[in-house]
Amino acid sequence: MNSPVKIWRNQKYIATMLGREGNIVSWTVIRVPPAGFSNLAPYPVVIVDLVGGERITAQLVDPPAVEAGWTEKLIGMRVRVVVRRIREPTTEGIIPYGIKVKPV
Amino acid sequence: MHIYITGASTTKFGELWAISPRRLAGEAVGGALKDAGVGIRRVDALFVGNMLSGMLGGQEHLGAFFAEELGITAPAFKIEGACASGGLALHNAVNSVLSGQYDTVVVLGVEKMTDHKPEDVAVSLMGAGSEEERVSGVTFPGLYAILARAHMREYGTTREQLAAVAVKNHYHASLNPNAQFHTTVTIEQVVRSPRIADPLRLLDCSPISDGASCVVVTNKKSNHGIIIAASAVATDTLGLAQRKSLTELAATKEAAKKAYVQAKIEPKDIDVAEVHDCFTIAEILAMEDLGFFPKGKAAGAIAAGETRLDSRSARLARLGASGHLVVNPSGGLKGCGHPVGATGVKQIVELVDQLRGRAGARQIKGAKIGLAHNVGGSGATAVVHILKK
Repeated sequence: MNSPVKIWRNQKYIATMLGREGNIVSWTVIRVPPAGFSNLAPYPVVIVDLVGGERITAQLVDPPAVEAGWTEKLIGMRVRVVVRRIREPTTEGIIPYGIKVKPV
Repeated sequence: MHIYITGASTTKFGELWAISPRRLAGEAVGGALKDAGVGIRRVDALFVGNMLSGMLGGQEHLGAFFAEELGITAPAFKIEGACASGGLALHNAVNSVLSGQYDTVVVLGVEKMTDHKPEDVAVSLMGAGSEEERVSGVTFPGLYAILARAHMREYGTTREQLAAVAVKNHYHASLNPNAQFHTTVTIEQVVRSPRIADPLRLLDCSPISDGASCVVVTNKKSNHGIIIAASAVATDTLGLAQRKSLTELAATKEAAKKAYVQAKIEPKDIDVAEVHDCFTIAEILAMEDLGFFPKGKAAGAIAAGETRLDSRSARLARLGASGHLVVNPSGGLKGCGHPVGATGVKQIVELVDQLRGRAGARQIKGAKIGLAHNVGGSGATAVVHILKK
């Protein structure tokens, strides 16, 4: 899934996305994660309308302090694209990096 | 030229650890050929609908694999379109007969999922999504949860209305001997079941299942042949975020529009529908996008029991009134189970059983026109078939 050449190709895309901002339009909280994500769960995944028109699906990192009803504030929240480790490394030893979003 | 389904059969769906894919396929195909009164030697081609055999089982080349099992050397194909693989296999089978290339073909939908760990199945199913979605760590319940959240926000759809879909489909499944679940559930049980991907809970989700289903498609009329009045497919973007709307599946709307034109009917003419309820929100979206209810009105109607077997409208229909519609009498993906490649074919088997009046305790009396709706991914592929008695 994660060959060095695939990661090298993806870097070009990641570079174009970093720092872009947008607003959350829908969200979920993943409580039963796929393989490779168990150390992160539960985590929010959000749809973001980026300034400039594109829409992306991304994991939300560093969410605001977890207090009762915090998810109520997600719709409309301003976020920025950042680079983060995506999932637990596989036996190939490659640490997969990619795009996530964090609150501005 | 008319295309007919003359034989239809399905295995039981469920956690079938003792039964191999070969045996599942043999049972389904054997049953359908017997039903059609056709010998295996008269089969001109085999179309296999399957999604995960390569990723989970390490076995590809499924056309030849199952042809060998059936003891035939006829042309054989694997058709893959995520959870719409079964519906797509039927569409390709219909086209092959329409073209004049073949006279009688077999469509087999088959999937073996319960041999594998749930988190590995979740990763494999995400093969139906986009790379961006895989990187986000989202799962299929998560993608439909995002659609549910948007629908709740836009139309005021409630948590209890979502649960009503599962309650109805578990009730229908309790009447289906081949269903994975025979237990009924309550709204309370659904809304208190473990959280999977907010707002969806365990009992909003179709299960991981094994099973196989088969239909025989031919240009030869027989006494009990059911006519395929429409076979339509539409495609949308792989990823959810690239779509125009998060409150509808445009591919469903497009496929349905084409199917109604082909069959020369309207949504109100449908007596029975098997729709793709991989999650409770998916049945609500399907009801609206197939044209059965205006946008935002389906959830309340389902919760009021309008599409349930033995509902008031169904009872009226038995007395001769029209306008009734029963949805997912098999139990749907939620109650009957969801072996992903088999589901689209199982929907057709259920419609054939209903139109031929042999659906037992879940028979819809006088059903004449049925619709099947099969979705791949979060709506990237939609297949709609309309069958007529």
